[in-house]
Amino acid sequence: MTATPAEAGSSTDGTPAILFDGVTKRFGETEAVKDMRIEIRRGEFFSLLGPSGCGKTTTLRMVAGFEQPSDGRIFLEGEPVEAIPPYRRNVNTVFQSYALFEHLNVADNVAFGQQRKKVAKDEIKRNVAEMLELVQLTGREQAKPRELSGGQQQRVALARALINRPAVLLLDEPLGSLDLKLRKQMQVELKEIQREVGITFVYVTHDQEEALSMSDRIAVMHDGHVMQCGVPEDVYERPEEPFVAGFIGISNLVEGTVTDPGTVELASGVSVSAPLPADCRPGDRVRIAVRPEKIAIDQIEPGMVQLEGTVEQRVYLGMTTQITVALGGEARLVALEQNTYRARAEERWEEGHRLTLGWHPEHCLILR
Amino acid sequence: MTAARGQALRLPFSRRGTAGRETRPKEFDRPRFLKWFLVAFLVFTLAPIAIVALFSLNSSKSLQHFDGFSLQWYQDFLNDQQLRESLFASLEIATVTMVVATLLGSTLAYGLVRSRTRFSGATNVLMLIPLVTPEIVAGVSALLLFTQLGMQLSLATIMIAQVTFSISYVTVIVRARLSGLGREVEEAAMDLGATRLQTLRLITLPGLWPAIVAAALLVFALSFDDFVLSFFTTGTSPQPLPVRIYSSIRFGVTPTINAIGTLMMLISVTTIVLAIALPRLVGRREDRTPLLGGEV
Amino acid sequence: MLFAVPLGITLAISFGTVDELGNAIYGWNPGNYADVFDPLFGPVLLRSVAYATATVVLCILIGYPIAYYITQFGGRYKYALLGLVVIPFLVNYLIRIYAWVALLSDEGLVNGVLKDVGLTTNGVGFLNTSYTVIGGLVYGYLAFMILPIFAALDRMDSSVIEAGKDLYGTPWQTFRHVTWPSTFQGVLAGSVLVFLPAVGDFVSAQLLGGTNTFMIGNLIQQQFFGAGNWPFGAALTTVMMGFLLIFMVFYLRSAARAATEARA
Repeated sequence: MTATPAEAGSSTDGTPAILFDGVTKRFGETEAVKDMRIEIRRGEFFSLLGPSGCGKTTTLRMVAGFEQPSDGRIFLEGEPVEAIPPYRRNVNTVFQSYALFEHLNVADNVAFGQQRKKVAKDEIKRNVAEMLELVQLTGREQAKPRELSGGQQQRVALARALINRPAVLLLDEPLGSLDLKLRKQMQVELKEIQREVGITFVYVTHDQEEALSMSDRIAVMHDGHVMQCGVPEDVYERPEEPFVAGFIGISNLVEGTVTDPGTVELASGVSVSAPLPADCRPGDRVRIAVRPEKIAIDQIEPGMVQLEGTVEQRVYLGMTTQITVALGGEARLVALEQNTYRARAEERWEEGHRLTLGWHPEHCLILR
Repeated sequence: MTAARGQALRLPFSRRGTAGRETRPKEFDRPRFLKWFLVAFLVFTLAPIAIVALFSLNSSKSLQHFDGFSLQWYQDFLNDQQLRESLFASLEIATVTMVVATLLGSTLAYGLVRSRTRFSGATNVLMLIPLVTPEIVAGVSALLLFTQLGMQLSLATIMIAQVTFSISYVTVIVRARLSGLGREVEEAAMDLGATRLQTLRLITLPGLWPAIVAAALLVFALSFDDFVLSFFTTGTSPQPLPVRIYSSIRFGVTPTINAIGTLMMLISVTTIVLAIALPRLVGRREDRTPLLGGEV
Repeated sequence: MLFAVPLGITLAISFGTVDELGNAIYGWNPGNYADVFDPLFGPVLLRSVAYATATVVLCILIGYPIAYYITQFGGRYKYALLGLVVIPFLVNYLIRIYAWVALLSDEGLVNGVLKDVGLTTNGVGFLNTSYTVIGGLVYGYLAFMILPIFAALDRMDSSVIEAGKDLYGTPWQTFRHVTWPSTFQGVLAGSVLVFLPAVGDFVSAQLLGGTNTFMIGNLIQQQFFGAGNWPFGAALTTVMMGFLLIFMVFYLRSAARAATEARA
């Protein structure tokens, strides 16, 4: 179950920033990464999204040089990198724990990479000032890492990595330990910095909202495989695997059997029409996936598929209200309504309330 | 137990309502009883040592009555050639052991934490053996080994034996500190362009040296104080101080021993206190020179 | 790479020095081992174990309350108090035993005071008893018991004790059912750290005791420095080591079991 290489993008120079050619990584008996074949284009903000243990951090470490692939090769700007140790790769990393040098102050931390390259002292000074301005930490050069807040430390780590103008910047869940508000703010800042600097970012996260909002393209990983790779809209609206459907957003999978072409019979006995792929035959077992926001509640439009159900649970989330509706048998669907000015306040969808759900056939997906 | 629990359940509020102290007098007494226990303990443990120190300054030979201050026993000690030789021998052994054990132990710790070889697991366990071996077993083994190899017992044999058994202390201390530092910081340094050697010099060692110093001083103190191991592996002359003292004590208690004992005490305790305090004191002066001036 | 060197050296030396069987080969005589169980020496072994056990028990009885007081009521001075308690043990073991010899011998301070006060005329023979020897052992190794118990108590959440007090009626029950079980591993660790060296100790028995308080350590030492019967000494040492190893295995298994239980 490998993802197909990304379609030809808009990069003028064909060489991708990073190319994974059948990369596999084994730790003893376990395969952390399995036969990865993806391309990351220059200047894009690329995210590796997946649950813990899916192999995304291992992938990142292989690009940085801290792990070597067991099979396959990695190409950085067209050149294979196996023989190159981490300190000679044109790649820099922002670690999850920031990994700042505690015994050095902010300026020395940021300057570290430049000093290794033996850049002239006054040029270092200039570059450090420029970087600190970029991350909005001007004036804190003398501070020690322990004196800074989490968000500030993270920005130092960012500056420290960016100052070397690497070809690729790797970020390993950098916002994980920040509180929600700060995280949202940093997401915006990171995206802006990336656009300004133009460097390829490879961003690892398990937060799907983060990935959706920041990335040019996302690779969803599970158990070492890349399940799907594409732009956020594609990954969300057109998931190709049940896992992807479930990991990003709420999947709402209902099982059924194909009866006639274009019709699926659900476990509850109800038949719905659905856009089946050409090679579906009667008797095939399929799963229908519908996003909750695409489901209409009791206000069915003409042309919609209709189903009856009973409210099982109602959750108030502030901006939206979500209800879980039992369809009979094991099937359940989650639908929601935004609590906008048009929401009908008197409709309180109590538990046990019977209602009708509907969706346009083109809004559902068929998965096998 | 059920009865007590029943009681507790029946009266939770009333117990919490009134001041807890009143309904549980035994509880209130506990700190007091324990406190005096602690005081008695401290007296008991410190008194003998204090008395030895006191009587080392006694102007008379008696161990029962203190007659006045005098440094004669210290003079006797320093005038005795054999004892002097022993003192220097002990110091020499301790210094050499400190340097060698620290070096070997630190590199071993680094190897264990940072590289994953086939031997790592086994070495980890083997390294603990010296720590749990009773000294007498260690002494006997060392003695047998040396005689098997046909070696003459001398200061050198003592040093070898002590180094062997001190390495583990160093390794344990340094290793703890090293894992605490975390490999991400070292990876960050390499990611930014520092070679392994540069990383070691610029990043790892600055963070590690308090542990190394503490371990070194600890080895010094342990070696200086060591008796059993030295006893089995020493030559005839010169002998380390503790061995000499032992022989003297067997023949009876003399006031000179008080002086020697006090001196040894001072040396060991100072060393260990330094081992604990030094890294903390110096560690605070971490003001590295600013970007322009410094080399870093 | 360059770490192979110290690794290698350590391995070689560790193996070398634990190789006292080498001498058994030199004069390979299983008869030596039979001698070990000779009725003459059996009591010595037993006595060593008995003394060491008594030492452990005493260390627990004395050490636990000390550690308890410091951790529960020490507050800010917790570590200072710990330091104070531990400092005497930084002094050379030999010197410390010597201090007690000096105090308790017939010309020592205690007898001097007793004579002055008029309680005795000729002095009380404090030395040469098993009590003194055990006392010496306790004095020597008490710190090894206090430190692990301190660590265990310190790590324990004191709110657990509060909860225990709510549940159980008396402080003693709280202790028995809450405090003791959580710190048991610390006590066990301390017991091992005290028992192992105590069994093999000969200094205390030699200086504070007499011929009827011989421990196995004294016996071994005698073989090498008095009787010249090295093979027998080696055999004794091996037997002792074997016995201790069995003991260690039990301890490690118990510790491992406790660790997995804690994780569950």
